[in-house]
Amino acid sequence: MSFSTLLLLIIAFSLCSFFFSSSSAFKKIKSATSRPSALPKHYGQYSLAWTLFPAFLLLIVFTIIGPIYVDNFFKQQIALTEASYDKAKIELILAMIKNISNGSISSDEPKILKLADEYSNYLSKIYLFRTLSVLLLSSILGIIISSNINILKNSRVKVETFYRILFFVSAVIAIFTTVGIIASLLYESLRFFALYPFFDFLFGLHWAPNIAIRSDQVAAQGSFGMLPVLLGTILVALIAMIVALPIGLFSAIYLAEFASKRVRDIIKPTLEVLAGIPTVVYGYFAALTAAPFIRKIGMTLGLDVSSESALAAGAVMGIMIIPFISSLSDDIINSVPQSLRDGSLGLGATKAETTIKVVLPAAFPGLVGAFLLAVSRAIGETMIVVMAAGLSANLTINPLETVTTVTVQIVSLLTGDTEFDDIKTLSAFGLGLALFAFTLILNVIALVVSRRLSEQYD
Amino acid sequence: MVDKKNNLKFKTKNVSVFYGSKQAINKISLDIEEKQITALIGPSGCGKSTFLRCLNRMNDVISNCSVNGKILLDGNNIYSDEIDPVLLRAKVGMVFQKPNPFPKSIFENIAYGPRIHGIGNNRAELTDLVHHSLEQAGLIDEVKDRLDDIATGLSGGQQQRICIARAIAVNPDVILMDEPCSALDPIATAKIEELMSSLSKSYTIIIVTHSMQQAGRVSQKTAFFHMGDLIEYGETPKIFTQPDQQKTQDYITGRFG
Repeated sequence: MSFSTLLLLIIAFSLCSFFFSSSSAFKKIKSATSRPSALPKHYGQYSLAWTLFPAFLLLIVFTIIGPIYVDNFFKQQIALTEASYDKAKIELILAMIKNISNGSISSDEPKILKLADEYSNYLSKIYLFRTLSVLLLSSILGIIISSNINILKNSRVKVETFYRILFFVSAVIAIFTTVGIIASLLYESLRFFALYPFFDFLFGLHWAPNIAIRSDQVAAQGSFGMLPVLLGTILVALIAMIVALPIGLFSAIYLAEFASKRVRDIIKPTLEVLAGIPTVVYGYFAALTAAPFIRKIGMTLGLDVSSESALAAGAVMGIMIIPFISSLSDDIINSVPQSLRDGSLGLGATKAETTIKVVLPAAFPGLVGAFLLAVSRAIGETMIVVMAAGLSANLTINPLETVTTVTVQIVSLLTGDTEFDDIKTLSAFGLGLALFAFTLILNVIALVVSRRLSEQYD
Repeated sequence: MVDKKNNLKFKTKNVSVFYGSKQAINKISLDIEEKQITALIGPSGCGKSTFLRCLNRMNDVISNCSVNGKILLDGNNIYSDEIDPVLLRAKVGMVFQKPNPFPKSIFENIAYGPRIHGIGNNRAELTDLVHHSLEQAGLIDEVKDRLDDIATGLSGGQQQRICIARAIAVNPDVILMDEPCSALDPIATAKIEELMSSLSKSYTIIIVTHSMQQAGRVSQKTAFFHMGDLIEYGETPKIFTQPDQQKTQDYITGRFG
């Protein structure tokens, strides 16, 4: 039986056990003389949890471990029959066997065909065992629990424990995935730093990953100094924040403090539409509209503006971030207690004075946090800069020139046919790690700053 | 219209307040005397706070609130177009139910109002003003060594006196107090009541209170509100000993409320 059929079956089992248990508990409670310790639904949930989760765990374990076990077994088999084979050869044969057994390729070598036959037999036996054990576990637990409902035992407490475990496991899964992502990033980066000196990467002023067109081509070694790329990223993010911070913050202040309910009901959804535009659309807006526009203005002023300027990319990125900043700030400003506003207004302060001298200082820690989150977002943003910022790594702080960013370089290094043991490809992971470290530091600063400041204002 | 008796501070005529279509108070006419304490009492939702907030136009802050009738402060209608509510609130200060000092230093809290109104041009004048206000609020001995501490770190009673000092600092004529002691313990309450009595020598004080004992202790005049109507208004001893209205009698003897 397939994974999904099995899952559906045990869900059906557990629903049955839920209804059976709760109705049996209901009957018992009705005829009981003493006050029961839990409601019928708690007994139902308790029995549902026992019917579903152990069997589900078993199913997961079998599904993950089963094929690994079979593979290892066959590797041993192959190694026994052909002692001369090395590891790579064994892997290759195993892959062939697998492909033959699921019918994607065919072979006329009788030895391989036989192994493939054995392989599929073995696998189906494992799956049959999985089906039986999962169904057995689910049904036995379901029957035992639901036929032994004891209303004197408090199942509410046990259900509570189940919920706690469920939520805990979800949290742990989220953490583990994060750890896994970081680990893979670190692993690939370490491979890169084995090929290229760490400090040359960190402080190098020249970024030129020469991409070999053919594998036999004698390419230059390439130079991987990340500073120009990092500087480009910071420049674009800075321009974005210069655009987004005042507009976002001021619009939030307007919405939270000054706008009437009617105006607010119109402006807020409009800003949210801005947040809903896909970044790729912003990207071609930047490349096709903003960049030529800025270039034209620059030309009339007698400035030399490149067609893919940091200014265009940054400005459009800023527009993208406006709703992010404004909706976060709006929430933060709204959470300042009304009593502070009343106090200030009651002293004869105007609305603007109240906002600037009382509301904003009280909201400041939250606003700093929101601002730094927006900065991390600007730094990690990819699509706009891919389309509008360009590829050449100039070490410049002139916003009218072409710059490139970390994300753009990663995209260009990893798109298309790539070899994953090549220094150029691996350098993308180095960049990824640098970007991750950078935004992590920013987020930590945001956290520390807002905590420090809110202590002061509590 | 000029009042003959010059010791009248507020004169209200047929004041009604609506929140949307719901009427909160109904045609209140009430005269409030200068440099006295007037207490507004009544059960929850009777409109006493709403009436109080009309006197410095704090109801303007609430978007769907509308006020009808006339409120004269020193003979001038405060709801006429020429009156700037911001200046009015400098003249008619307010202390709220929950102590609401700003999350700033004690000094900055007191100096906030004067700075906004351009009182106290230099640091020395401002410092004098802050000290004087804290002295009037009976707080100076407790906080004079820590004026730079955050005001929100003080106790509830101290916070409330900071709010009173803050209101005094802009030199108002009237101080409105909206249940100023309801969040405080009895000792802090006693201090505030003592403070009110001494302040009433220089300021007109109007206090909304839930506590009839408090009204009896501090006020010279008491107004009893019920369901948005002004039931009875008179000298405090008379209201508490021989009220004219049966409803007042029922309320002060605790038969409802």
